[in-house]
Amino acid sequence: MKSTGTNNLSHAVKKPDTDAVLSVRDLTVSFFTNGKQVPVVRAIDLDVFANEVHCIVGESGSGKSVTSLAVTGLLPVTATVSGSIRLNGIEVNKADDETLRNMRGRDVGFIFQDPATTLNPVMRVGRQITEGQVVHGLLAASDAPGRAAELLTEVDIADPQGRVTQYPHQFSGGMRQRAVIAMAMSGRPNLIVADEPTTALDVTVQAQVLSVLLQRQQALGSAIILITHDLGVVAEVADRVSVMYGGSIVESGTVQDIFDHPCHPYTAALLRSVPRIDAGDDRLETIPGQPPTPAELPSGCVFHPRCALGANKARCQTERPQLRGFGSGQMTACHFAEEMQPDRPAPPARAATQTRRADMKPLLEVDDIKVHFPVKKGILQRTVGWVRAVDGVSLRVHPGETVSLVGESGCGKTTFARAIMGLLDVNAGDVRFDGHSIVGLGRRAMRPVRRQMQYVFQDPYSSLNPVLSAADIVAEPMRLHGLFEDMGGDKRIAELFEMVGLSPSMMGKYPHEFSGGQKQRLGIARTLGLKPRLLILDEPVAALDVSIQAQILNLLQDIQRELDLGYLFISHNLSVVRHISDRVAVMYLGKLVEQGACDEIYENAAHPYTLSLLSAAPISNPGMRNQRARIILRGEIPNPASPPSGCRFHPRCFRATDICRAQAPELATQAGLKTTSICHHAGPLDPNEIALASQPKAEQ
Amino acid sequence: MISYLIRRILQLVPVLLVASIAIWAMLYAVPGGPVAMIVGQDASQEQIDAATRELGLDRPLVVQYGDWVANAVTGDLGKSIFSKEPVVKLIGQRLPATIQLAVFSLLIALVIGIPIAIISALNPGTWIDRVLSSWSALALAVPTFWLGILLVLLFAVELRWLPSASRYVPFWSAPLDAMRNTFLPALTLGVYVSGILARFLRASLVGELRADYVRTARSKGLPERQIVGGHIMRNALIPFVTIVGLMLANFLGGSVVTEVVFTYPGLGRLLVQAISTRDYPLIQGIILVIIVIFMLINLAVDMLYAYIDPRIEHS
Ligand SMILES: Nc1ncnc2c1ncn2[C@@H]1O[C@H](COP(=O)(O)OP(=O)(O)O)[C@@H](O)[C@H]1O
Ligand code: SF4
Ligand code: SF4
Ligand SMILES: [Mg+2]
Repeated sequence: MKSTGTNNLSHAVKKPDTDAVLSVRDLTVSFFTNGKQVPVVRAIDLDVFANEVHCIVGESGSGKSVTSLAVTGLLPVTATVSGSIRLNGIEVNKADDETLRNMRGRDVGFIFQDPATTLNPVMRVGRQITEGQVVHGLLAASDAPGRAAELLTEVDIADPQGRVTQYPHQFSGGMRQRAVIAMAMSGRPNLIVADEPTTALDVTVQAQVLSVLLQRQQALGSAIILITHDLGVVAEVADRVSVMYGGSIVESGTVQDIFDHPCHPYTAALLRSVPRIDAGDDRLETIPGQPPTPAELPSGCVFHPRCALGANKARCQTERPQLRGFGSGQMTACHFAEEMQPDRPAPPARAATQTRRADMKPLLEVDDIKVHFPVKKGILQRTVGWVRAVDGVSLRVHPGETVSLVGESGCGKTTFARAIMGLLDVNAGDVRFDGHSIVGLGRRAMRPVRRQMQYVFQDPYSSLNPVLSAADIVAEPMRLHGLFEDMGGDKRIAELFEMVGLSPSMMGKYPHEFSGGQKQRLGIARTLGLKPRLLILDEPVAALDVSIQAQILNLLQDIQRELDLGYLFISHNLSVVRHISDRVAVMYLGKLVEQGACDEIYENAAHPYTLSLLSAAPISNPGMRNQRARIILRGEIPNPASPPSGCRFHPRCFRATDICRAQAPELATQAGLKTTSICHHAGPLDPNEIALASQPKAEQ
Repeated sequence: MISYLIRRILQLVPVLLVASIAIWAMLYAVPGGPVAMIVGQDASQEQIDAATRELGLDRPLVVQYGDWVANAVTGDLGKSIFSKEPVVKLIGQRLPATIQLAVFSLLIALVIGIPIAIISALNPGTWIDRVLSSWSALALAVPTFWLGILLVLLFAVELRWLPSASRYVPFWSAPLDAMRNTFLPALTLGVYVSGILARFLRASLVGELRADYVRTARSKGLPERQIVGGHIMRNALIPFVTIVGLMLANFLGGSVVTEVVFTYPGLGRLLVQAISTRDYPLIQGIILVIIVIFMLINLAVDMLYAYIDPRIEHS
């Protein structure tokens, strides 16, 4: 890491740092909304140096994206920007449009969050990668296709010549994001701004994309601003970190310092509220309440309504703390940072997972179910093949138990869940609820079973009917089953509100008046009305911020204990799964490749796919970064309409041998292994293997 | 692409079938049935019986329908009751006039509508946007016949630049004369439709301007002109093509009011005449032609779609 010029910077020393690629002083951005100026970024100082990854972390709405857009003058005209932004010696805030336009694409490259929408769907990828260079006169139009292919090669995309003339929809998500990286890097910029570049991607693809990003950065010596809300990603890639809250930077420092001894209560609380993949912990600490909205910022310290340390301190409510130096090289915006307790000791080992009572009957039994969708083609739309979305899956869920289903997107998790709910036809196999088969039951026969089996959706925003009041939303399932009065009517609703931690005074409000976390609580209350015994939770916290995610996870655990519910928990977040599960099943291309007790899966996994997933998942501990060898899984999940021969995982597997290509492995519990897996060569990871497995290789 | 085209054409068959049955069945909606149409309301029973036999109306309905379709396919839609001329011939005389008017009208609508949409979408909320949006609102609010009469009064009666009654002059035989004759009705229709097109395109441009890929394009340092021309336009055109196709189909179906105001010899006026004289075979023929035109334009729009939007699977 290079010079860290912020060390001696206190708010008295406000001169821009001339060594920095980017030096921001006192940046304030406000938007004109509802007839008044609302500041969303307030008095930010930031320095970013060459060869450095500077992460900005914070929850949604804290002003991260607005800051990054301000840096290159990309904010909409409704924004008012004040303060100084010096980028490559240019004062951005005073530069005219033409200067800014010249700066973009030459000196700064952008990578945005959602690779599905950042590329123009009707323009060829190659052209999109190079058109900026052509416009800036850095590349002759006739050389563009060749250069585009070169750039695609640099980000490990196979068959670059062929890919150059394709359209974005012909690329997978990870490839699109790599194409965007190629585009951002095409002008060899000295600053790259990446706003949540991997948030929309699977862990395996996230690992690929981050590794490509860092490789390219090292090759060019650029500075990177990486915006994320994922502390795992921060721990894996950051050199320096700035933590944003309510539009301000509340703490900054080196990644090691921030994780080892945070010096702002918000950072400390945030670090405690994320589930850890490297250690089981029983209960998450949460930050009470919600992040503030810019229109209603608390007085004094913006964090004070949620801060335990500032609880009874008048100064916190009246005086806004400035960012100041703390210790050696850290900075904090807290009046009482010196009074913070050193971080609590490492979390205690998790209480032993609930041992299943031997006499207990499973609530849900799934035996070898298959769900296949026809592929239609040609003039007559004949069925020419089948997408084997779920291809022989067996699973048990007991009362009071959480079984998690993990795997990359597209591996069949949601299809499996919907088939169990009877929302999709099952082609083969059996599903029993409480001992009774429910496959092929008609609507009417299914109704009483439905009552006991409820589905919680991922997206709290779109799963609630916007024209119903909160009370009606919660009452709806009971009314549909004609049981509203029987179950206690309005009293029951109030009871449910309290159970999920919502005040019954909110019963008359409408969904748009609820925050994301509150909406998810509402979604959970709604499913509990009919006293279900099994909840199918499909990515229930994926759309939530870290501090809210912790609240919901705790809520789910409380409810489970209270009502002895069985959970089938679907997630691609391995940290969350480790935290909440009793047992874990790993799914790949429609099959469960490995199953076992939660801790066994995380500590003694034997299937190469599980090992690869675990290796790809970021760990919230920067100290581990260089000690841990990584298996970067090549490529992406293949098309389930034509799964690979033999073992379906063989094209991506680091252990694959001839037998794997020829013969599909059978489910087996092998001697000495603690989990059940489907693999010819199941077994723990050998350190030599990793060296072999992490050899870079262009993907297919 | 060919297979996609064939599939789309095959999908039209059932639509055409239903439409043809409905049109054919119209004959039976005539008071007294198709026979009364020929022999008149107060014919004697003998006359009716004779006509019934002569027309083959005593045969099973399926056979009658089959016959009708077979004739229609070979281009025989019967004879007009009023003029005793073959229906196909009557329509054939009017169709070119209607097509010429439709094409002119559409061109005028596009020439007015597209720039308005682009300029107001790029300057949202400014006075220029408000002025242009009011234009679109006005264009939609003014009744066509009223605008038509106004234009005739101004350009034909007052200024005497253009004829008040528009004849049909084929464009390729005398382009200038054709334009003189078609200009006023085309302008009347074009202005109205330009309002629709401008509103629609403005809305879709404003939507596209907010899209993520536009931010990406800006972050590459592309000049605004290239962002609009190279990135946004093609995306905005995808839904726009549908609306343009719909408008063209509407024009081709005959623009009754305008044709009447300008006494323009198009399909619309022919239809009005046919209805007022209860000339059922002619009505049937015109409606059939209009439906076929709608279907063909729809097909063309779908093909254009597949061409503009690479995401459409046409293999
Ligand atoms: N164009 C805009 N107009 C008005 N408010 C905006 C605009 N863009 C962002 N904001 C507001 O600014 C705040 C910070 O947003 P943002 O920087 O996107 O947060 P983050 O990236 O940290 O999630 C949010 O409250 C958001 O609603
Ligand atoms: S200033 Fe007060 S309220 Fe703010 S973080 Fe520090 S102790 Fe908490
Ligand atoms: S069977 Fe072979 S290819 Fe499949 S996971 Fe095991 S080692 Fe890898
Ligand atoms: Mg953001």
